[in-house]
Amino acid sequence: MNAAEPPQSPVSALEPWPDTVRWQPISTDLIWVELLRLALGLAVLLVGLAVGWAWHGHWLFGVGCAVVLLGGGWRAWTIVRAVHAWGYAERADDLLVRHGLLVRRLSIVPYSRMQFVDVSAGPLERAFDLATVQLHTAAAATDARVPGLRPAEASRLRDRLTALGEDRAEGL
Amino acid sequence: MTDGHPGPGAAHPTPPDVPAAPDSPPAMQIRPTWGTPAVPAAPAAPTVPAAPAAPGHPPVPAEPTDQGGAAGGAEPRQRLHPLSPVLHGAKSLFVVIAGLSWSTLSRVGFGWFAVLVAVLALGATVLAVVSWYNTGYHIVGRELRVYEGLLWRRTRAIPLERLQSVEVVRPLLAQLTGLAELRLEVVGGGKTEAPLAYLSVADAARLRQRLLAVAAGTPARETADAVPPPAGDPAVDAAAPVAREPAGRPLHAVSNTDLLVSQLLTPQAFLLPVGVAFVVFQFLSEGSWSFIAVASTLTAMAGVLLQPVRRVLDDWNFRLAREADRLRIHNGLLETRMQTVPLERVQTVVVTWPLLWRMKGWLRLRLEVAGYSGGETDDRNRPDRLLPVGDRETGARIVAEVLPGVRLGALPLTAPPARVRWLRPLSARRLAAGLDERVFAARSGLLTRELALVPYARVQSVRVVQGPAQRRLRLATVHVDTAGGAGATAYHRDLAEAWALAAELTARVHAARRTR
Repeated sequence: MNAAEPPQSPVSALEPWPDTVRWQPISTDLIWVELLRLALGLAVLLVGLAVGWAWHGHWLFGVGCAVVLLGGGWRAWTIVRAVHAWGYAERADDLLVRHGLLVRRLSIVPYSRMQFVDVSAGPLERAFDLATVQLHTAAAATDARVPGLRPAEASRLRDRLTALGEDRAEGL
Repeated sequence: MTDGHPGPGAAHPTPPDVPAAPDSPPAMQIRPTWGTPAVPAAPAAPTVPAAPAAPGHPPVPAEPTDQGGAAGGAEPRQRLHPLSPVLHGAKSLFVVIAGLSWSTLSRVGFGWFAVLVAVLALGATVLAVVSWYNTGYHIVGRELRVYEGLLWRRTRAIPLERLQSVEVVRPLLAQLTGLAELRLEVVGGGKTEAPLAYLSVADAARLRQRLLAVAAGTPARETADAVPPPAGDPAVDAAAPVAREPAGRPLHAVSNTDLLVSQLLTPQAFLLPVGVAFVVFQFLSEGSWSFIAVASTLTAMAGVLLQPVRRVLDDWNFRLAREADRLRIHNGLLETRMQTVPLERVQTVVVTWPLLWRMKGWLRLRLEVAGYSGGETDDRNRPDRLLPVGDRETGARIVAEVLPGVRLGALPLTAPPARVRWLRPLSARRLAAGLDERVFAARSGLLTRELALVPYARVQSVRVVQGPAQRRLRLATVHVDTAGGAGATAYHRDLAEAWALAAELTARVHAARRTR
């Protein structure tokens, strides 16, 4: 627009400002976490359907099983791609987080707007030695979550964010 | 925030405040960040700091004798107005009658009904008296503390640097008795925090003035450079809060006829004759007028008309004034409200052009303040109206006042590329967005046009979102999030432009922060 220095024309929706931003990928172990989560959900569904099939014997239950399996396979494939698409970048003044394949999202959160940082790790994540960092601002719509970080990296990011946030913090 | 205290800028708004509130000179001057330093003459006021820690003891037995004499001590805890339990009781009377309903009346007869109502209302009043006895508030340093509850004691410390707006509400009953309710909006509170019901009008005005003074004194820069021209004004203002109560430069007063006409120009009002005709036709053709049918029809119509009628009642006598760097909004017929919003706290201004108002060239301005949850659907409790109805010039004038340097008619808005019509065949031509000097502006809407203005300094985060259909067309949507309200959204920009917009927005957000 009437910008002082318009950035270079971007190549793809997930790669804005390719020469100024160094994107950090998240750990590919998150694929396993997500796959396990998916498998658990699928298993519950499949057991339910299988029991129904064995009991009732209607062919629709078989079709249901096949659909669930196919859907699960497709989802597994997208999980792999989605985890590779997830990334974050720390710039001088803000944090960038990008994710999503079907709907691609990029969040830009200035450090000065940060209200608090959440670091969480569920049992599955812990088993794979991963953690999630989430940045909260005063706006509910802000969506800056970085999953699949090594605990060391997660605490580094948390410390850096809080330090930068304290540095630049301001009231609303 | 603490670093601002010793500075001359921080100290500036405080001294004028002290003579205004003689009951608390040291507490105000010392300006502790936390409650404890507020007791320079500690033995004089033992209950104040002790109360939050050990709430088991009954609070202040009688405030003037207990601590009022301790001029050197911390501020004594204040009670609400003694009439407030009566008002609460009267309010519960309505609730009781509504709760018992007509069917109870017909079943038990009038005498017993009256007894029942009296007993219940009396019980509610007694409870209100007990809760009044146990409720207290005072300002400790930079906090407003509110104590309440008999069995479950609750002490709320409201940090005043987070104060977003103060509202003095006077429901009909309170107007008759000369009382008022004080409501505070604080960041992070999903609902209105600490409604102090009720105070006498003078007390409410004084307390509001003090709260705002304490809140504004927070970071020196906020009062210092928010409004450079009337630099001496806040001091003068705070010096005599009661005497200069209706002070402030009036900006605009909405004429009540305009308000009535504007609410008649709503779909509800337009559809009413159609509904009436339909009902009458149905009755005439059927020839039967059963009571239930008439009653239900009337109820349905009242429901439809409720919104316009409520808007008329709420926005009656709407007046807008500017008082130093604060905005003062006064409105209401049965329930008058006086809201004070520091200009610093304005997160978003939304300009709306409803379809039927366009023939008059009218618009509506809405103000978003942090503290109200965005999803709150009850628009009655969101005193967000900056201008219920007005023409273009008035709107532009008020926008320029609230967001200095913004000219409503001359915003640099640009339309998205023509291929957007594949996604939004009808409203594509209405979409626009642009970066102004101090605000981000985004327009949308086919029938009801909306223009959202977000100051760069208030932007919390920027998001770029691209859906599958948008990917095909190489489009993306840029969202700007704010602490209150929905922010602004630039729909369907060209991808390269969306990135440029996001980059420029973040750059301006940082710049806005630095210059403040």
